[in-house]
Amino acid sequence: MNWQAVLLSLKLAICVAGILLAVGMPIAYWITFSRWRLKFLVEAIVALPIVLPPTVLGYYILVGLGPRHFAGKMSQSLFGHTLPFTFGGLLIASVIYSLPFAVQPFAAGFESVDRRLIEAAWTLGASRLTTFLRVILPLSVAGAVTGVVLSFAHTIGEFGVVLMVGGNIPGVTRTVSIDIYDQVQAANYDAADQTAVILLLFSFFALALIYGTNRRALSLWRGFK
Amino acid sequence: MSLEVEIEKKVAGFQLAVEFATDAAPLGLLGPSGSGKSMTLRAIAGLETPDRGRIVLNGNVLFDSAQKINVPARERRMGLLFQNYALFPHLTVAENIAFGLQHVSDSEKKRRVAEQIAAAHLLGLVERYPAKLSGGEQQRVALARALATDPAALLLDEPFSALDTHLRGALERQLRETLATYRGSTLFVSHNLEEAYRVCEKIVVLANGKVAAQGPKEEIFRHPPTIEVARVTGCKNYSRARRLPDGSIEATDWACKLSVAQPFEKSPGHVAIRAHHIRVYPPDYFVAKTFRKNIFPCWLAAMTETPFRVTLDLRIGLAPSNSNDFHVQAEVFKQEWESFRSLPQPWAMELAAERLFLLPD
Repeated sequence: MNWQAVLLSLKLAICVAGILLAVGMPIAYWITFSRWRLKFLVEAIVALPIVLPPTVLGYYILVGLGPRHFAGKMSQSLFGHTLPFTFGGLLIASVIYSLPFAVQPFAAGFESVDRRLIEAAWTLGASRLTTFLRVILPLSVAGAVTGVVLSFAHTIGEFGVVLMVGGNIPGVTRTVSIDIYDQVQAANYDAADQTAVILLLFSFFALALIYGTNRRALSLWRGFK
Repeated sequence: MSLEVEIEKKVAGFQLAVEFATDAAPLGLLGPSGSGKSMTLRAIAGLETPDRGRIVLNGNVLFDSAQKINVPARERRMGLLFQNYALFPHLTVAENIAFGLQHVSDSEKKRRVAEQIAAAHLLGLVERYPAKLSGGEQQRVALARALATDPAALLLDEPFSALDTHLRGALERQLRETLATYRGSTLFVSHNLEEAYRVCEKIVVLANGKVAAQGPKEEIFRHPPTIEVARVTGCKNYSRARRLPDGSIEATDWACKLSVAQPFEKSPGHVAIRAHHIRVYPPDYFVAKTFRKNIFPCWLAAMTETPFRVTLDLRIGLAPSNSNDFHVQAEVFKQEWESFRSLPQPWAMELAAERLFLLPD
């Protein structure tokens, strides 16, 4: 059982979920409430990681973060090295890879809020920010929880992108899924088995949490039997 | 207290162009659904942007397309009561009422919420969530929430339409009391003419996005200026009409000649009469009173009953061929109906000259 890999995966997933909470909310808000004609293009770009094979996505991120491209040059001058095969590079790749898993539930949550409630808040003098914090967000908390848990769990389970962008450096980029792959390659089935069970149980509890929260969020105030 | 509205807005297949003004007395916006009432209200509240026009509240310009002024909804200080009340489901009654008071001190907030709760008779309900309130209670919370912000104008969008009939009377009385003490302008949107008549002093009738009539309510009900207004005020019977040389008129759809009390200057046009103004008598009346004017033999095509009245679909001059073959609808009390229902037809029908409206086209 490789605790180093488990801890690394947890650290990565927590960072990704946190970043996506901060970045995904504004994107989801914009997608939900913008009236721009070409909005569908942005929606399509956000959804791309769902359909692209992780290797394709990983390839582009790898090349994009490499020394020949803008992002790579930026990081070279900022940190003195390029991002591929570092934790930072892995984090950026994971955020992009999990973006739709956060943005889409957030947007679905915002979409489910009755427009009249938003308008009622405005006529009562609430600013857009107040309306978001006091009306939209509380009423779409189920979508927010779903988005955070999904992006967290999705990051824990990712493989292809990690392999392409992060490689397999113990303590830096060797996550749980890579570790299982390694153990199987080395015919170390007992170790692979243990880690796989951990991952299975974790995924189950993450999903149970989503469904449990969704029900509870509704029952809090809608709830009478 | 004044509110001046002059707006135009075009949306797919519909054009709104309305102009009216009001003072402190409640103004009713009356019209069938799709006439532009709600859109007008939303434009005043700042939730829709008109293509052109001006909205001025107590001298403050809220919207002016020429000067490019468009005050956002949150700064307009309009108390909007939504048709379905739009209470925040995740907030208690007290929190809902306090929602608009985010910029006042805590003690002032408490005072105002308590004041509204007492005025709206919501004392035992402050900790409840909207899902656990009855429709009438929800409506009172929504009104209290709007009034707590001390709005410069109250905009009420069909406040009773979501309620059971037996609740409406009491809530309407309560609303009238509230409006009597409210100092700002009130706009009351309704498609129910009796409700608008009871709540408001003046009425604006909207039809197809335009103002069809405006003025004191008695005036509009007594002399509807056009056929649309007559229809909105509940008049059910119309016929095309043209003036005859002797000063009477010919009602072409009803196949009869009518004497009228007022001169019919703008012929051709329409003649109309309200269902409860039509009198129906037993057949002997017809024989005995032929010297009276506007008495016609009539046959029953169909009949619908309400607890105290009956509505009779009647055909003038000839027996109807089927239940849809009728000229006018008359509304009579049950006891009158009992006096002639079993007698042989034709019965006698009177379209009294002083009850007829003459509507120019």
